[in-house]
Amino acid sequence: MSARPPWRRNLRDARFRMLAAALALALATAWVPPLPLTRTGVQVLAVVDITGSMNVRDYAAGGQPQSRLEAAKAALRHLLAGLPCGSRLALGLFTERRPFLLFAPVEVCENFAPLDGAIAALDWRMAWEADSRITAGLDRAIAMAGEIGTDLVFVTDGQEAPPLRAGALPPFEGQPGAVRGLIVGAGGYGLSPIPKYNDRGRETGFYGETDVQQENRFGPPPADAESREGYNPRNAPFGAAAAGGTEHLSSVREPHLKALADRTGLAYAHLDGPASLDAPLRAVATRSPVAGRLDLRPYLGAAALVLVLAAFLAAPLRALTMRVPTPRKA
Amino acid sequence: MLPAELARFGAERPWVLWLLPLALLPLVAAPRRRAAWADLAAVPPDPFSRALAGLLRAAGCLAVTGLVAGIAGPYRAGERVTRTGIGAEVSMLIDRSGSMNETFAGRQPSGAEESKAAASRRILGDFVGSRAHDLFAVTAFSTAPMLVLPMTDRHDAVRAAITAIDRPGLDYTNVGRGLAMALGQFGAASGDASRVLLLVSDGAAVIDPRVQDTLRAAFAKIRPNLYWLFLRTKGSPGIADRPAGEDTPQAAPERHLDLFFKSLRVPYRAFEAEGPEAVAAAIRQIESLERDPIPYVEVRPRRDLAGRAYGFAAFGLVLLVLAKLAEVDLARGRAGQGAARAPERRMAA
Repeated sequence: MSARPPWRRNLRDARFRMLAAALALALATAWVPPLPLTRTGVQVLAVVDITGSMNVRDYAAGGQPQSRLEAAKAALRHLLAGLPCGSRLALGLFTERRPFLLFAPVEVCENFAPLDGAIAALDWRMAWEADSRITAGLDRAIAMAGEIGTDLVFVTDGQEAPPLRAGALPPFEGQPGAVRGLIVGAGGYGLSPIPKYNDRGRETGFYGETDVQQENRFGPPPADAESREGYNPRNAPFGAAAAGGTEHLSSVREPHLKALADRTGLAYAHLDGPASLDAPLRAVATRSPVAGRLDLRPYLGAAALVLVLAAFLAAPLRALTMRVPTPRKA
Repeated sequence: MLPAELARFGAERPWVLWLLPLALLPLVAAPRRRAAWADLAAVPPDPFSRALAGLLRAAGCLAVTGLVAGIAGPYRAGERVTRTGIGAEVSMLIDRSGSMNETFAGRQPSGAEESKAAASRRILGDFVGSRAHDLFAVTAFSTAPMLVLPMTDRHDAVRAAITAIDRPGLDYTNVGRGLAMALGQFGAASGDASRVLLLVSDGAAVIDPRVQDTLRAAFAKIRPNLYWLFLRTKGSPGIADRPAGEDTPQAAPERHLDLFFKSLRVPYRAFEAEGPEAVAAAIRQIESLERDPIPYVEVRPRRDLAGRAYGFAAFGLVLLVLAKLAEVDLARGRAGQGAARAPERRMAA
């Protein structure tokens, strides 16, 4: 007569306990709610330079030459796709001397399709004037980002048109570092020709040396003017020769952009492929808490799986490690 | 058909599925105690025991498979279902020239005064989202047209685009190219939905005759209902005013833009608003006019299948746990009443 029913012993069996715990965990997945938690999102205003020099094709994608603007768009779309839900993006254009806000910050997951479409539709033909006074545009873009309470990503190649007066970076009127963000230098390091378009938007060649202003001749002449050929204080204060130079060619003006970044407390990054903005922005962006949810079920499931595997493997493992009494001897 | 159906299934962590071979483990190992038995051949073959053993193996496989699948986070992708609602495809073309930042009296706004841009921002913002199935596209124009948002049903994004319209405007009013881009916002595939082109501007400009021809062709092709919300500044010429001198487009651009619109042979109405109330009334009227059915796409959210996977795992685990509870030791079983059942259990092991 067995006084103790077999299940008493079964209840004490470690493998039974493991399986029962796994069962409890598997059942718990149906009831455990996702854990609310705060994730770090970003709020960012992206301002894209759409002036003529951004049409320079010194990037390559898929074996084809790619313009700086297209490369910048690809990078922004990559950035958009990688932002955590709850992050918000605003988009602006830059040309002339000011940014133009296309739309106020929008949540990126719910509105992904229109945001992606709006970035894809950026075009140099949207430019309302042909100047490219980047320093002024950047300062106003920083002010705009401050107004709408976002960080700033300012994509430009740094080519000022007309050129800045030699060595004269105007003072920054805002407070450096009050708006955080990134100046993104677009373009290759070597000089490339700038495509020229006619009034119907068709490409008609490249800019030549005499097509663009090579030197800023507004305001007082530079200090070295006296030594120039044909200098006359009244009739030829900048010298008699036409200014020559390479302003009709374009490369990324990194020293200028880095100086601008220092002046305004932004960081600098070089645009180098679609994924090149993600890490630099993450490094400088203001972390703003966005509501996220952590699904606990994978953790419960993983624990249950470990328990089940342990229950199945207990016997073979023990047989391997220590020689339990074999059936033959019993 | 079948591959398309299969392609809708996915997993959040697909790499976890590499653990699936672990599901074969129950075929070679069992979670039951070892029993001392000289030779299995000594037991007569018992179909019930065999079936029980098979069942428990299957339960083990099911438990491991279910858990691995559950951890991988399986789902069935959301469906896009086309339904019909009341609404329209609205392409908004908004003037962002500098004068939009003045009041209806033509001054810089001061105190409680509202600029034309701020009034249209407020009223258009209410318009967007008042009906769930409207689609909107936003185009801005000054000297050049700017595509702000492509046609979308995400009203938050549209409102964000409208929020931006009372920021300082740009230079001039070049309505011709703006109209061309706003027409381009209507998708080719939208079928027979009602299309609305809503032009919000406080002035007009001469449209280049060459551009006029292009626009005529585009209007004839797309056939939108055209509404011109003309924010008229006090004292400036209205749509219907004939100029005192020569009646040329240069002298009265508003009147000639109106004439051009009338000559397009598309349904057209102009609203001349001289204050925020008039703008609101015009928008209400447009809303009531556009009451046609529109096909819209409803995105059904994706279905999470992890719960089902865990359910299968739990079912397998229930069987394993019950088997574990019913486990009988040979030595004790022989001594007790369960002697008759004991061999079966061992066979199952």
